[in-house]
Amino acid sequence: MGKEQKNEIGRVISGIKKGDRQSISRAITIAESAPEMFASLIKPLYNPKKEARVIGIVGPPGCGKSSLIAMIAPKLTAMGNKLGVIAIDASSPFTGGSFLGNRIRMQDSLSNNKIFMRSMASRGAKGGLAAAVMNAILVLSSAGYDYIIVEPVGSGQADVDILDIASTIVLVLAPGLGDEIQAAKAGLMEIGNIFVINKVDLPGADKAERDIRYFISTGPAEKRQQNIVKTSTVSREGIDELAQAIIEHEKSVDKNEFIKYRFYMETLRIATEIFSEHIDHLKKERPKWLETSLSEATDPYSAAEKIIKRIESDEKL
Amino acid sequence: MANGKNQKYYDKPIRILIAKPGIDGHDRGVYVLARAFRDAGMEVIYPGLLPTPESIIETAIDEDVDVIAISLLNGAHMAVFTKVMNLLKEKKANGIAVVGGGIIPDEDKSKLEKMGVTGNYGPGTSLNIIIEHIKKRAYGAREEKWGKSKKTK
Repeated sequence: MGKEQKNEIGRVISGIKKGDRQSISRAITIAESAPEMFASLIKPLYNPKKEARVIGIVGPPGCGKSSLIAMIAPKLTAMGNKLGVIAIDASSPFTGGSFLGNRIRMQDSLSNNKIFMRSMASRGAKGGLAAAVMNAILVLSSAGYDYIIVEPVGSGQADVDILDIASTIVLVLAPGLGDEIQAAKAGLMEIGNIFVINKVDLPGADKAERDIRYFISTGPAEKRQQNIVKTSTVSREGIDELAQAIIEHEKSVDKNEFIKYRFYMETLRIATEIFSEHIDHLKKERPKWLETSLSEATDPYSAAEKIIKRIESDEKL
Repeated sequence: MANGKNQKYYDKPIRILIAKPGIDGHDRGVYVLARAFRDAGMEVIYPGLLPTPESIIETAIDEDVDVIAISLLNGAHMAVFTKVMNLLKEKKANGIAVVGGGIIPDEDKSKLEKMGVTGNYGPGTSLNIIIEHIKKRAYGAREEKWGKSKKTK
């Protein structure tokens, strides 16, 4: 790290301690775009006691996640919570560009309630999140935010990474997405703590509810009481009920246990990142020792073991 | 940074906020630009119609964009762009460049430039010219935050 970067990191750290908004958002930029600097930023700020509660709002594209967040966010702040929102949209696999449009639904609600909101592009990450989401949560937690709503990319059936970070997951569905067979499928349908059928002002809402109830009724007895909230962001039906359901579910979560779990998942993620950085380095240049072990190895497994040994013993790669 | 160690950061997608401050509902152009910027590899944030200058600055800070692109077709650009620039100064937000566009008479362009609103392209401008200008300003904004990169030296 150069002198200019060190100075900037120092400014950002003291800014976050003072609650300066631009420092918070600059720290998230560092998490996103200069991750190699992030460790020295977060180490002096991190405090496990400040870890925020994270609510995931998941569901297929266009089911109304952003509009729902716009309506429930003020309810959470009205209860005295300091709230941040992170919304992720997909990056183009062709150009790397992204149209981050989640704000369109939320802008007024966020501005009026002084809620911090950050749009993130997935930048090639799979699983519905962006690589920097977890670090952004660390930043907001350190800055004193106690609730963070995360809206992953409009979910496909297998986008379940939100499980690692959110203690309450709201699965938003809408009429017309499929029948009870779709509801029975593994993946996304399994991860919701709260089911929401949004757009109940549209036809087909009753059938959607029946299909989901049917799906729930085939599961284990203790899960059959699972909440289904019917909402409409047009008529505002069910909004209070949903905010209440989120708070109720959070009460039922052992926060300390969950934070320990998230800490563990985060540790694994960081370790993986550091490890893959080592490997990426080897992809770019082939040092002499590697050439030697490649030529000496009798099979690729033995060559790979040499690399791992070298990383373990902290020898230069 | 002078020796280009920070090059990785300069290669990350440019973050840009597009907004039409003031009472102006002509958003077709915004969508054309948003699409072009996206296809040029930028991360485009569009907060919807009728944002206030205040909410534009708040958004730009939360999103930590490199560039704010503001456009007006209704003739209120001098009043509204000035307000945006003043708010930006008031908030002491560093590392955010502002570019303008819309129906802007030539005699206003130099005044806007002086304020720091550059570009000020009108209808019919080639998208490439706009994109190149934005890239230049974005790298300038990044230098302000992080020092010089190899690319911009």
